[in-house]
Amino acid sequence: MGVLGRQEVTTAAVPARPTHHEPGSTNTSRKQRISAATKSLTPYGFVAPSFLFLLAFGILPIVVAAVVSFTDLDITGLANPDNISYIGLENYRRLISDSDFWRSLQTTGIFIVFGVPSIIVISLTIALGLSVSSSRLFRVLRMFYFLPAITAIVAISLIWGFMYNTQFGLLNYLLTSIGSSPINWLSDPQMAKVSVAIVAIWRATGLNIIIFLAAIQSIPRDYYEAAAIDGATGWASFRWITFPLLRFALLFVTVTTLIAWLQFFDEPFVLTDGGPVGATTSISLFIYQEGFSFNRFGYASAGTVVLFLIIVTVTAFQLRLYRSNHA
Amino acid sequence: MRLTNWRPLTTALAVMLVLTACGGVSESENSTESTTPVTSATTDASVTETTQGVVSGTTDGLAGTTLNFWIMGDTATAFEELVSGFTAETGINVKVDAIPWDAVNDRLTTAVASGEGPDVTQIGLSLLPTFIAGEALMDVSDLVGDYPNLTAASFPSDIMATLNPGGATYSFPWVSDTRVLFYRSDILGDAGFSEPPATWDELLKMASVLADRGSTKYGYYIPQWDAPLPVAYTWQAGGDVIAADGSIDLDTPEFRDAVDHYLAFYDAGVVPTAGDWDQALGFITGDAPMLVSGPYLAGAINDQAPELEGSWGVTMVPTGVNNTSLFAGSNVGVWSGSENPEAALALIDYLARPETQLAWYAAVNELPAVSAALEELKAGDDAMVAVYAAQLANSRLLPLDPAWDAVGQEILTMLNSVALTGADKGQALADLFDSVARIVEG
Repeated sequence: MGVLGRQEVTTAAVPARPTHHEPGSTNTSRKQRISAATKSLTPYGFVAPSFLFLLAFGILPIVVAAVVSFTDLDITGLANPDNISYIGLENYRRLISDSDFWRSLQTTGIFIVFGVPSIIVISLTIALGLSVSSSRLFRVLRMFYFLPAITAIVAISLIWGFMYNTQFGLLNYLLTSIGSSPINWLSDPQMAKVSVAIVAIWRATGLNIIIFLAAIQSIPRDYYEAAAIDGATGWASFRWITFPLLRFALLFVTVTTLIAWLQFFDEPFVLTDGGPVGATTSISLFIYQEGFSFNRFGYASAGTVVLFLIIVTVTAFQLRLYRSNHA
Repeated sequence: MRLTNWRPLTTALAVMLVLTACGGVSESENSTESTTPVTSATTDASVTETTQGVVSGTTDGLAGTTLNFWIMGDTATAFEELVSGFTAETGINVKVDAIPWDAVNDRLTTAVASGEGPDVTQIGLSLLPTFIAGEALMDVSDLVGDYPNLTAASFPSDIMATLNPGGATYSFPWVSDTRVLFYRSDILGDAGFSEPPATWDELLKMASVLADRGSTKYGYYIPQWDAPLPVAYTWQAGGDVIAADGSIDLDTPEFRDAVDHYLAFYDAGVVPTAGDWDQALGFITGDAPMLVSGPYLAGAINDQAPELEGSWGVTMVPTGVNNTSLFAGSNVGVWSGSENPEAALALIDYLARPETQLAWYAAVNELPAVSAALEELKAGDDAMVAVYAAQLANSRLLPLDPAWDAVGQEILTMLNSVALTGADKGQALADLFDSVARIVEG
């Protein structure tokens, strides 16, 4: 769940906010002395730098991956291009018959079904709690909740790895000291899914709490005062004021969280390496292992193209749903 | 307009995020780099006086060159010390780049793709086929004649020919490694066993007795990540994983015996099911008082628990039909794009000197690969070295096939799925044979 990905979403999503107006539309009445041609080119000048970045680091790699997915590129092909041959849809045919691929899709699906709602509910609840006051204590608490978002994943994995450890971990020490039997946090295939998801949820809440908190604090107080005069209870003002006014933040968090889970990689990579017996191998990790552990670059590229199409479809569907509800 | 409104946003979102699909990979490959000081005056007397150790005349004019060396694992500091003598002798600097074992393949593929590699690299034998397939190693057949320590006769029997297919000379043995049985003689003694297990059956019986010591006690430890172990079991059952025609073949009675032997420990509940079990810690605490591992474990035990001296030992692996173990270790080779092959070979020649090999064993407990050094080590009165040497003489290489790595992983997945999730053994075996067929075919 790369922080990088999230920042990119922010920049991409802002122009599309329904409340946003293009500067040109409010200025049309003003007489301007610049020629029509310059005027129409100006916006392109502004987007050019980021567009070039997108082209070099966005479009190009996808095109390359798509091309590679039709070949049998492996390490011999890297060393000598003569060893690369075009094999058409063979990689995709094998992908469809690969039970490990389907298993990783299924695992990713399980993570999404439990992970997305958990992150939204937990982040929103904590944000609501933190919005109660802006005293010194609450400012410190805000920082505390943001910490997971800015801590390096390697440090996180080390600490959680120690806590989860079967032989000397803190969690099992606590369990045994209250007379309960120890748990194989990262070794039991079912439990490992939960353990890895807990770390991912904990890590993702940091940023989402801040997003929700900012959205909550931007709601004018007058609404609540008016509601209080009308006799609204706390729950009613949340249900009828806060919640509806958070819809953009909710959409944003849902979209980014969903995509982050679709690309779920860091936590299983560092904590379990996809194990035990593949129980925490997400689709991204499957692609990584095929590509970088077994050097089947063509096959892994086919996997990335499939993941790309899934993400495009899911995102398009979500945004369309949102627009038909709220536009 | 509605359509044009959401489409660019969607595409932009999707494009950016897919790009980062694997972008979050943590940079855990914290390579440490450092240069060996040129001014090292600590030239060992034995180095300069050695008869066959004088670096050949080809190093003339190479002083001042810098060689980049890739070393695997966590032995970089010890290695810098080891090669300081080489720098003092020849004036050739060695810049050591430490690569963690699990990052080696990443570094290899990046280096092959970019053409930017080191001058000399350590090569774990399991990765040797991949290095050769990736054309990462230089064939130095034409140059090697000038280096007295690098003749095939320096190394055990036909190992040079086996590790250098097609008559080429890509790499030279540097350290050997094998697997022996480590056991806690004090704990075995308390349970009434005066001798370590010598056969598969004894191992299982003794492990069961030892596991009865308590709910957190086990008799034996099987590393869930140890891909060579099931292969060694297959050899011990009298079989092989390679058919007569050279293809990978697991559908044999001996492989099935190996599978049964592996699973028997889980069936009996005498091995830890935890995947994050620390074998050194488990051995030192006595929670898992027997396991099969390499000489480096002895180094770890001596470092972490010197007080255990005398209450543990090593012996040959238990016998099924025979007691063949794994032959592992590392080679060193010249990178195909190196601009300093002469200096690189001079360094490799230095590493193959018996005294360098012995110094390396003393520093990190990795066994010599050069016959003369191993003989000298055996001549000492170290009982453990005698066991290692006897086991080395009865050990085999994993298949030298670039596809083997993936097959080894499939075997582990199959075994662990039965052991840990209770999957049906027959079905798991059938699935394994299917996936192996798929891997072999392409």
